[in-house]
Amino acid sequence: MESATVSLGHGHAEEHHGPPEANQSSRIDRQVLGILLFIVSEVMLFGAFFASYFFLRVVVNPATWPPAPYEFPVAIAGVNTAILVSSSFTIHYALEAIRRGNRNGLKLGLVLTWMLGATFLFIQINEYVHIGFSARDLAFGSIFYCLTGLHGAHVFVGLMLLTFATIRAFRGHFGPEPEKHLGVEVPGIYWHFVDIMWIIVFVTVYIL
Amino acid sequence: MRINEPAVFRWVVIVMVAAVSVVALTLLAGRLVGALWGLVLVIAASWHGIRWVQEKRRGS
Repeated sequence: MESATVSLGHGHAEEHHGPPEANQSSRIDRQVLGILLFIVSEVMLFGAFFASYFFLRVVVNPATWPPAPYEFPVAIAGVNTAILVSSSFTIHYALEAIRRGNRNGLKLGLVLTWMLGATFLFIQINEYVHIGFSARDLAFGSIFYCLTGLHGAHVFVGLMLLTFATIRAFRGHFGPEPEKHLGVEVPGIYWHFVDIMWIIVFVTVYIL
Repeated sequence: MRINEPAVFRWVVIVMVAAVSVVALTLLAGRLVGALWGLVLVIAASWHGIRWVQEKRRGS
């Protein structure tokens, strides 16, 4: 009996090592679910900053926005918005390319997305240098830098994810099957989120 | 609707079109009108989201 138990235990150990496999829903991949939950938490973070912004705009209600003599570089921010929106199209192109098995299209799409994202970040830093006010200039300056800076930090994180995805793409890591290009799809979803948040930040801060 | 990159990309396009309409209205009619139109769009999107979640719950 004892030997049978030992033999059963040994057989089981041969089949599976380590902790048991985590349960996985058939409706959504673990990685995609992870990034979606992360994005939900990020939406709440942005929501807190937007609440401060709207409190300042609606409740404090300064006579002019931005308070005189400050001005927002709307045209430059508009061009920057176009650049970031374009990057969503290029990452979508990269993913469509790998779904069709086109590795060169994937590499091209990822490199273009990275360059557009880096250009956006460079223009934003340049905007900070030349804008003429700092985070210490009134509450308006603080909330402007907090909102746009928070978004800029997200672009930086997105660029890091894109860097890893691009290096892996050049090493031939991805394939057309859905489970073989999750390493691009997950950064792609994050990048789209960053893009949507910028559109909202741009319209709210620079236009309205 | 399955949640994947193409579905999120569709939302980028929807938000972009909505933002263009808010910017156009703001430039044509002023900040208040643009802000009100933006508020209408946010309420419509929230209502659509709530309906989508309710349908998903009924389906599962």
